[in-house]
Amino acid sequence: MKIEDLDLDALTELFNIGLHRAAASLSELTGQRILVDLPRLWVCPIEETHARLTELLHGDLATVHQIFRGTVAGDAVLVLQYDAAARLAGLLTSGEVAVGGRLDQSAREVLAEIGNVILSSCLSSFGDMLRVAVSFSVPHIHVESLDGMLRSLQVGNEDLQFALLAATQFRLSEGEVGGYLIVAVGMSSLSIISDALASGAP
Amino acid sequence: MPVDVAELAIDEASLPVLLALGEVLELGVVALDRDLVVREWNRWMAAASDIPSAEMVGQPLLERFDALRGGPAEAALRRALDGATTVWAHRFHRFLLPIPAPAGYERFDRMQQSARIMPTSRAGEFDGVLVLVQDVTERVAREEELRDAVQRAEGASQAKSEFLASMSHELRTPLAAVIGYMDLLEGGMVGPVAPQQQVFLGRVKAAATHLMSIIEEILTFARVDAGKEEAYWEELDAVALARGVEELLEPQALNKGLALELALPPGAVRMTTDGTKLRQILINLVGNALKFTDTGRVRLEVDATESEMRFCVQDTGPGISPADMTRVFDPFTQVDQSLKRRKGGTGLGLPVSRRLAELLGGALTVESTVGEGTAFTLRLPRSVAPATPPAS
Repeated sequence: MKIEDLDLDALTELFNIGLHRAAASLSELTGQRILVDLPRLWVCPIEETHARLTELLHGDLATVHQIFRGTVAGDAVLVLQYDAAARLAGLLTSGEVAVGGRLDQSAREVLAEIGNVILSSCLSSFGDMLRVAVSFSVPHIHVESLDGMLRSLQVGNEDLQFALLAATQFRLSEGEVGGYLIVAVGMSSLSIISDALASGAP
Repeated sequence: MPVDVAELAIDEASLPVLLALGEVLELGVVALDRDLVVREWNRWMAAASDIPSAEMVGQPLLERFDALRGGPAEAALRRALDGATTVWAHRFHRFLLPIPAPAGYERFDRMQQSARIMPTSRAGEFDGVLVLVQDVTERVAREEELRDAVQRAEGASQAKSEFLASMSHELRTPLAAVIGYMDLLEGGMVGPVAPQQQVFLGRVKAAATHLMSIIEEILTFARVDAGKEEAYWEELDAVALARGVEELLEPQALNKGLALELALPPGAVRMTTDGTKLRQILINLVGNALKFTDTGRVRLEVDATESEMRFCVQDTGPGISPADMTRVFDPFTQVDQSLKRRKGGTGLGLPVSRRLAELLGGALTVESTVGEGTAFTLRLPRSVAPATPPAS
């Protein structure tokens, strides 16, 4: 299959469904109204990811990784600039964590749970579309560079690997924070997603 | 394609290792079967909850802890049976299992916890739930104390700034009246003044004017400290401004027998900045240099690049020790307390100057050698993109 064959509009809608679920869960969790938007989506071979992200992300990144397995398999990552991650953790906890802009232990826990909610909501929407269970691992939070993050992606042994890159925007009453979702998959998983989208899902 | 359970779930064979690790790492390890009946309740959990393992094993968790029913905890446990992992961050949930707070932390009604709720597997199938519980009570208590301390410090700092601003204002108003009436008396507006009275009136006026300048300095500091000072941009000639500062302070240099030297570029150098604040910084720096230098010279050097202005004030004073260099820009500090008593001053000149320099988009730095002298360098952009447009 070719990337051009993918129905990007349908894929965007799939992410949107996942992010709306995530927003509802986060609102319930934090007691404040939270919207998670998807301003933009790209699909590219994984080796092009660096070139695309290097213009957008600089310095230390805070990432939450979750590998997923099932009919589709790969690695999903929530990526935030370090300062944006601290700001988001502060906004979601009314300033109780990440005091002074530092990702302390409590802030990392908060981010791990936020990442877990967002990633699992998005992966579940893939599972619902494919009508199969997609299971995911314990989320891991890291502070790492862009290179380090891309090196650590666990996609499997397939030669051709792709990244679904989604720019996200967290909107809270006190402010907005931008971030990215990366869903890295092999060719076989991308083909399954493409076929499912073409068959009329979601 | 079947789900590769081995990558996502804790295999039953790993449980004994996890239970042992839990003891070492001080983690609660609880394993549940598909009916959420307790299979393992490690020693750490037994000690922390005061419920022996023998009592817990074989008991449905939701019967023992009825408060978990119908809530997010039960939902997370049931999701794990389908292979989903849940992160349970303390900040959002406070605790997972309602067990007593550890000794010394009774002000928390329950042990504060973070947890992970994840699936376990047997023979490639999800077959239960593993709950890892971490006691974070001590950490939460420490964080709360830190937050309280930060809030108290911020409150105290704001109160200090407000006090300084209001007291300085209250002092300035009557002092302005004192100086005004002094002018009237000195000028003979209310009758003749004898020569001796003229001398005394002059001394009183000099003291009152000095006091007024100290109050102005405190007021400026309070405004800058509270972030209420604003820059008013204008285009000016930096060379003419430097000459004005030299002319103003030359009498002070002559009184002490010091040379006040100027090193300026030829011709005018235009820059956009707040002239009043730049003048205030240079008067502070040159005035300070004159105050603390007993012999030799004070030199004000000005040079410009296409984008930057540099003002350097060098003296042949006593210099500042490396240990004191870190404190020169701290408010209310004069590095040598014996000098402070001898030379007077509020200790606000340098902190105010640095903050004004930052307000103008520049920086103020210092270099010094004990016994040789000190050099303060002020770098400012020649043109700024001010948030407020230049004053017309």
